[in-house]
Amino acid sequence: MTAPALSRLPVRVALGFIVPVSLILWWQAQSGGHDANFTPPAALAAAADMLRDGTLPADALATLRRAFTGLLIGAPLGIAAGVTMGIWRPLDRLLGPLLHGLRQVPMIGWLPLLGLWFGVGESTELIVVSLSAFFPAMLNSHAGVVQVERRFLEVGRIYGFGLIQRIRLILLPAAMPLILTGVTQALAFAWIASIATEILTGAGSGLGVTMQLAQVQQRLDVMLVAVAVTAALGFAINQIVQRLRRLLLRWQPASL
Amino acid sequence: MIHSPLLSRQDAEAKAGGKGALSISDLNKSFDIGGQPRPVLENINLTVQPGEFVSIVGASGCGKSTLLRLIVGLDTDYSGDLRLDGQRIATTSLDRGIVFQDHRLFPWMTLEENIELALLNTDTPKARRAQIVADHIALVNLKGFEKAYPHQLSGGMAQRAAIARALVTEPKLLLLDEPLGALDALTRVHVQNEIQRIWMTQRSTMVMVTHDVEEALYLGDRVVVMSPNPGRIRRVVDVDLPHPRDRSSPLLHRLKDEILAELTSGADTARAPANLVHLPSREDRG
Repeated sequence: MTAPALSRLPVRVALGFIVPVSLILWWQAQSGGHDANFTPPAALAAAADMLRDGTLPADALATLRRAFTGLLIGAPLGIAAGVTMGIWRPLDRLLGPLLHGLRQVPMIGWLPLLGLWFGVGESTELIVVSLSAFFPAMLNSHAGVVQVERRFLEVGRIYGFGLIQRIRLILLPAAMPLILTGVTQALAFAWIASIATEILTGAGSGLGVTMQLAQVQQRLDVMLVAVAVTAALGFAINQIVQRLRRLLLRWQPASL
Repeated sequence: MIHSPLLSRQDAEAKAGGKGALSISDLNKSFDIGGQPRPVLENINLTVQPGEFVSIVGASGCGKSTLLRLIVGLDTDYSGDLRLDGQRIATTSLDRGIVFQDHRLFPWMTLEENIELALLNTDTPKARRAQIVADHIALVNLKGFEKAYPHQLSGGMAQRAAIARALVTEPKLLLLDEPLGALDALTRVHVQNEIQRIWMTQRSTMVMVTHDVEEALYLGDRVVVMSPNPGRIRRVVDVDLPHPRDRSSPLLHRLKDEILAELTSGADTARAPANLVHLPSREDRG
């Protein structure tokens, strides 16, 4: 059996481009000269400028670094908290209500408070991004560990598994699909939080900072470039994570 | 033909400690259902000799799986006495292996890794483990599938792998909890032959629960017939035939008819109508 034609890679890529390209063509046809800044050629020219003077790569790198630093702080802490709470009930009882309450606060809700404490700058941005990554990682890891089937834990009891063996050989691998879902969500949240905090604080550099500046300067073309790069990078990161997920979960039947 | 990478009977018996004699005396077990204790096993008395193969048959609800969970040590909330080689059973132990109806292989491990995990907490030298695992994979005829994940195996193959995992620690007592219940008829016969072959090679004590009378008779030196609600031993049938057995033996067929008759009608006919559904008749509504 060959793969259905629609799922072959070149076909899929081509199909994915149809709608965005049509939109750009339609946009070109519509822009009848009243705003010289707001046309595809203008946006392309702005992109070329930003590439030439190095601001675009620098911005993308700054945002990427912020998102991944936040992810590297928030996600491991979230996984550790979720797994520990899933294994050890008393901790769940102790911290669960607090954490579930705190996660109701949207990430942007932390900005004013943290701004007062730490000043409007890099550290506040990083804390918000880390928090954004923490909660999805924690919730999914917790759910993953709690849902491990008893029949597998019984096999561990029969072969005399100690706590470490139980965690390493049963709980973590069995929870891995959900833990990875948590990491995927954490990454998406960290990415969104990075852009959002950059826009709101305007501190340092980054795609969000550029968007905010472009708004002040009425540079629609620059704004469009920043938005397009944000979308493309986010999409690429997500693709990489999905690949990684498939590699780590190769023990699962293909249909899952 | 028996290829025997495993311990011979003499070696097995020469191992330190006992030989796998199971004794169950005055065993009672009840579950708490809606605040009421409901007996599932009542006054079970049974002695299994070292190296003996005992089958347990009975209708569903006769507590036969519960009995195995107690013997393997997953459930220790019982009254009475449960001993392996004179030692009271209080928890799980590598002396006792079990094969469940569902194979319970870890889906995230290859066949090889699934079997090797049973050796993690044994004193088997690390250098020998790979060889022992390979021998047991060969024993259950799964050579070539070492790197397969459980979802890539058929039901019969996965169940054979589970048997290999249970055997690899050389337990004195192997418990089989309807190990073939989920297999199709053809695979069943095949795995039954394999279990018989392995048992003749290893001669460890085996206790198998099944609802298939034919299977119980084909494999068992003795067949314990249980009745439900609460689970009691109704009768113990000796199957006085040498192994390997011939499925067409007249004795097996006679015993099968006998046991089936006992299971379907039974001594407590008085209770039988309680199982039937009584629809209220029209007259009663008057």
